[in-house]
Amino acid sequence: MSADVHTLIGAWAVDALDDDERTEVEHHLTECESCAQEAAELREAVWRLSDVTIADPPPRLRARVLAEASRIRQEAPETPAPEPRTAAPRLRRHRGMPRLRLALVAGALAAVMAVVGGIVTWSVMRDTAPTRSDEIAAVLESGDAEVGKTAASGGGDVTVVYSERLDKAVVVLAGLAAIGEERSYQVWMVDPEGQISAGVMNPGDRSATMLVEGLGDAEIIGVTEEPAGGSQTPTLPMVADVPLQG
Amino acid sequence: MPALEQLLHGTALGDEDAFARLYDEAAPRVYGLCLRVLRDPAQAEEVAQEVLVEVWRTATRFDPARGSAGAWLSTIAHRRAVDRVRSVQASGDRERRAARPEPEYDAVAEAAAVRLEHRQVRRCLSTLTELQRQAVTLAYYGGHTYRQVASLLGAAVPTVKSRIRDGLLKLRDCLEVAR
Repeated sequence: MSADVHTLIGAWAVDALDDDERTEVEHHLTECESCAQEAAELREAVWRLSDVTIADPPPRLRARVLAEASRIRQEAPETPAPEPRTAAPRLRRHRGMPRLRLALVAGALAAVMAVVGGIVTWSVMRDTAPTRSDEIAAVLESGDAEVGKTAASGGGDVTVVYSERLDKAVVVLAGLAAIGEERSYQVWMVDPEGQISAGVMNPGDRSATMLVEGLGDAEIIGVTEEPAGGSQTPTLPMVADVPLQG
Repeated sequence: MPALEQLLHGTALGDEDAFARLYDEAAPRVYGLCLRVLRDPAQAEEVAQEVLVEVWRTATRFDPARGSAGAWLSTIAHRRAVDRVRSVQASGDRERRAARPEPEYDAVAEAAAVRLEHRQVRRCLSTLTELQRQAVTLAYYGGHTYRQVASLLGAAVPTVKSRIRDGLLKLRDCLEVAR
């Protein structure tokens, strides 16, 4: 029976099953890791078939969708699966953690993992080690992780996940305003003594993820727009500032 | 594609601006796919709206470890479109709709043909055997079950089931999406 279900994975990937078969296959995928792997790979191939069907929707659809979305509450994120070597079990211990914060942590993790896969392209002014996904994961998984998020002026947002214990933060900058190739976004740690550059994004880049070490007494993670390559002191006003509590 | 992932992430955090930008990126793919499967622009628009609102609602559940944002979005769109086909079939309307002329179809295919990197998909589809290609495209673009595909092609059901799978595996290898 299992072999039979396995041959249905192709038909499943193109939604060519009836409801009963679909349920059967999806149940099977939860139990068979190699099948789930194949299913995921087939889905990655299948969606490319929609490259050739792209068509502009009627303009009115945009306003309808955005208006409807603004009235609809989003689903809570899935409870993290209790697997070892993921952030899940550690996050789950924090029963007192407000739901919103959990959601943010999960969301931040998703964003970080999406970026870490390929495009960590930082020219870091300070002499820090290259950003590594396991170091990022360590911050996200740390028991004392806190999350701050703010909208950047001009568009996009900045999310900071930080651990006082590890003295590190993960900064996720997403979709900041376009600035052209002659300008760079720069990230700063701001404490009562002043500010220290935490890194400069590549000229023109609008999204990035970085690991910031040595938070010290930093009270704010700030982002400014600077000439390409960054500045010694921040050019105000800040594009975004995320206060660190604690 | 990282841009889609970023926008989806912003959407998951409840950022309506990120969702608006996600809409601009994703709506032509969602709508185009619905249109291809359903053929009827009014229905395609309706289903595309449901899909895009579902994307907003469930962005919080997107897990990049399980696949790309493009696959996630397109999967929701395709499944919704196919669900609509099936429910219409169940209610017996489909034949009346199928009898309608479909002038939009070629125009849409034409418009799509001048856009994006579809050449790779076309080239990869052409590496499939005739039966694999027909089985995959009738299922995906036609919204048919594999049993219906078998009946359309006059082929045995187990054969079609296998050809869809090995056709997709070949497509996967050709598109180099194996992870």
